[in-house]
Amino acid sequence: MIETVKEQVRKLLDSGQIQGFLGLLEKNGHISPHLFTDPEELDRLNLGERDKPGDARYPLTKYLIKIARAHPDKKFGILVRGCDERALKTLYNYNQLNPGQVVPVGIACPEELARECECRQPYPEECVAGEKSEGCASVSVDRLDELELSERFDYWTEQYAKCIKCYGCRDVCPVCFCNECTLASEDLVQTKTFPTETPLFHLVRAAHMAGRCIDCGLCEQACPVGIPLRTLYKKIYNIMDEELDYQTGYSEEKSPLNAI
Amino acid sequence: MEYTTALTTCTYCGCGCNFYLEVLDGQVIGTIPCKTSPTNEGKLCIKGWNVHEFIQSPKRLTRPLIRKNGELVEADWEEALDYTAQRLKEIAEQNGPESLGFMASAKVTNEENYIFQKFARAGVGTNNIDHCARL
Amino acid sequence: MTNSVQEIEDADCIFIIGSNTTSSHPLIATRVYRAKEKGAKVIVADPRRIHIADIADVAVQQNLGTDVALLNGMMKVILDNNWQDQTFINERTEGFEEFTKAVQGFSVEKAAELTGISTEDITAMAEIYAKSDKASILYCMGITQHTTGVDNVKALANLAMLTGNLGKESAGVNPLRGQNNVQGACDMGGLPNVFTGYQKVTDEALHDKMSKAWSSGKFPSRVGLTIPEMISGIEEGSVHGLYVLGENPVVSDPDSNHVTKALEKIDFLVVQDIFLTPTAELADVVLPGASFAEKDGTFTNTERRVMRVRKAIDPPGEAKPDWEIIQELSSKFGYAMHYESPREIMEEIAAVTPSYGGISYARLEGPGLQWPCPDQGHPGTPYLHKDKFARGKGLFHAVEFIPPAESIDDDYPLWLTTGRNFSHYHTGTMTRLSPTLVCEYSENFMEVSPEDARELDLSQGEQVSVASRRGEIGVRVQITPRLKKGTVFIPFHYVESNVNKLTNPAMDPIARIPEYKVCAVKVEKNP
Repeated sequence: MIETVKEQVRKLLDSGQIQGFLGLLEKNGHISPHLFTDPEELDRLNLGERDKPGDARYPLTKYLIKIARAHPDKKFGILVRGCDERALKTLYNYNQLNPGQVVPVGIACPEELARECECRQPYPEECVAGEKSEGCASVSVDRLDELELSERFDYWTEQYAKCIKCYGCRDVCPVCFCNECTLASEDLVQTKTFPTETPLFHLVRAAHMAGRCIDCGLCEQACPVGIPLRTLYKKIYNIMDEELDYQTGYSEEKSPLNAI
Repeated sequence: MEYTTALTTCTYCGCGCNFYLEVLDGQVIGTIPCKTSPTNEGKLCIKGWNVHEFIQSPKRLTRPLIRKNGELVEADWEEALDYTAQRLKEIAEQNGPESLGFMASAKVTNEENYIFQKFARAGVGTNNIDHCARL
Repeated sequence: MTNSVQEIEDADCIFIIGSNTTSSHPLIATRVYRAKEKGAKVIVADPRRIHIADIADVAVQQNLGTDVALLNGMMKVILDNNWQDQTFINERTEGFEEFTKAVQGFSVEKAAELTGISTEDITAMAEIYAKSDKASILYCMGITQHTTGVDNVKALANLAMLTGNLGKESAGVNPLRGQNNVQGACDMGGLPNVFTGYQKVTDEALHDKMSKAWSSGKFPSRVGLTIPEMISGIEEGSVHGLYVLGENPVVSDPDSNHVTKALEKIDFLVVQDIFLTPTAELADVVLPGASFAEKDGTFTNTERRVMRVRKAIDPPGEAKPDWEIIQELSSKFGYAMHYESPREIMEEIAAVTPSYGGISYARLEGPGLQWPCPDQGHPGTPYLHKDKFARGKGLFHAVEFIPPAESIDDDYPLWLTTGRNFSHYHTGTMTRLSPTLVCEYSENFMEVSPEDARELDLSQGEQVSVASRRGEIGVRVQITPRLKKGTVFIPFHYVESNVNKLTNPAMDPIARIPEYKVCAVKVEKNP
């Protein structure tokens, strides 16, 4: 699978279709986000797996925004999984990236990873490599939905109370690009407090993620205290889908919430 | 166009979190927690996530300073190091090496602390070396 | 730390004392949350109701400076109930009888009276800790920054030995080091009594070894001066010159007015730093160093893991990596150094330091190495004291409770303790230049209990003056139920409102660590 990806990227670089490829490189005994400009380096390309598939995924689209903005005359290839493609689509919708500057190189996630992520569509539309596997339903949301309202409230209150206010959920998020963050807005949430205001801090972010979150799960992986953020935002996706018929990350338009 | 990621270790507390400093065209623009790090596994605290913000502060010292007529004024390296070496030598000669003290640092690298204490001991001739482990 | 960070998550019991873990060591708190999730019991003892106490099975707020009383009380309960690990005590330790005598002379009631914690809570803490298979102690400056700092640590070691919680995975006595490379600075011989790897300067054989390695035997075989002794030396006229590398003693040292006076008086002060700190402002020469992002090297973290620091960008202007500056200065002084790179310096460190003997840059790719790592084939050491202690048998110490050096009275009726907040670090020279961090806490504050606030007629956000017997500062009031009546807390990040003008420079007689965690103050409303 990786050889096919290498070949494709080498072609893109050699032909001058792209000036750089944002992917992952084996370096210093780790797997590092890297902008490949020299095809020679492709020998050390990695698809974001150390011990198991996808365990070293990074929000590459987030880094691409900064690079592409600084170099608007250049085109970039980027390694994308299903979630990264949803991120790209959302970033295009919100004018954060110019699709003319981006050449996605898609890979499908193996079944094991798709199940772990409970991913609706574990592959991008166009795949260079990997077998497309079935999407999965969200068992984690269902499990919590089964609880009584008061039990569910207690569960989430306990989870939010652990927060150490690192803002990692925001800082790692591929679709967090606002210049002014709602979490810094005193009208919505108490700022300058530690621990965070429970449950408002997390609910303000959750509400803001409606029509934004593309379900990559990187926030949950970045959370130092293990708050099940992905489950929370999956629930938000379901609400958007059921109530407003909006499929975040798949639609070609901004969410209807932006029209309000 | 140059975009690089340098894998390094945090300069704040003793956890020893690893992250990449994102460098775009010579400027540090971001911090990426390292997912394969044994200590932080892709997570960071608020200080770590924002560590790139202080590095390029305009308040950074960029030239040596020497006090002249009561004021600290800019000097070149040659002058600053010659003057410092000469003053340290004078004090060591007049009052003995034990009249000099060395404060090592919990912020600089192992290699730097090593040659700093080597300088104090083998160069100057004193064990008057300590750092703020206690503080 | 005797054990590794990763191991904490597999402990059955975690006893946190004198560590505000979620604020000061957030990524170690991660492991505590994971352990809790896996079913571990968590005990928290801290004078404040700190954040991590919210997940504790037992959380207590001891009076300032009463840790020995608390720990002796717990050990009395353990002995009374025969919960100790007698096999471990018999096989691995000595001094148990004298220790037992000292503890038997103490009572849980006395412990309760001194600490302000109920006998029920002390008993519950003892039972949970002693009955857990793998119990890990995490502590920080709340234990060490006392005139009885060494006693506090010895009492913790007693507790761990009494229950067989040393020399095994996910247990141990684990100090969380506050600064990124404080472990490394100690390991590298940045101390007056030891060379690298804790090789004693008073040992003649080691003196010879180092003289040979360094081609210079100029240094004496007697212990040098600690920082507080250097400061007194300046005042007494015996210390004339000081070379300060990347430290800010004007803000970080206790009774800072006194330090400032000494540094103003000294004949020659050279400060090497990345910012013009309050200490650098007093210098005769200021040398601009490189930040961690601008040089290569290694840091050693709290679990003794040596990890690489890699250069990302060039230093600003003419600033240079500190190793280059030190080397040039040493050469100009007359002791030539010609290192090409930090890698080459590490080769020399490995050659003269048994515990770093197997460490090299090539082996530091990947996760790094935990010392002791004596040779190239050694995998490093995740936890210490596996089959025996460094000294052979673990030694119990009979430790008696001694009150803090300063006490409250009618003039100074409140206890003050100090520490960090979640968004700032140490003297704030770095974090206070970071806009995101400044957004969280831009200015100093004093945490006070609702009861004290009511009694003193203080309102939220009000500017007040806080004075001790040594100085006075202004701060804003932050009323919080996390403080108990009679105790206030002020962080030490703010030079313009420097709490170390108030703190007590009284030191632990052995470790020479000042008693930052306890002093007496009064709070006055501004006229």
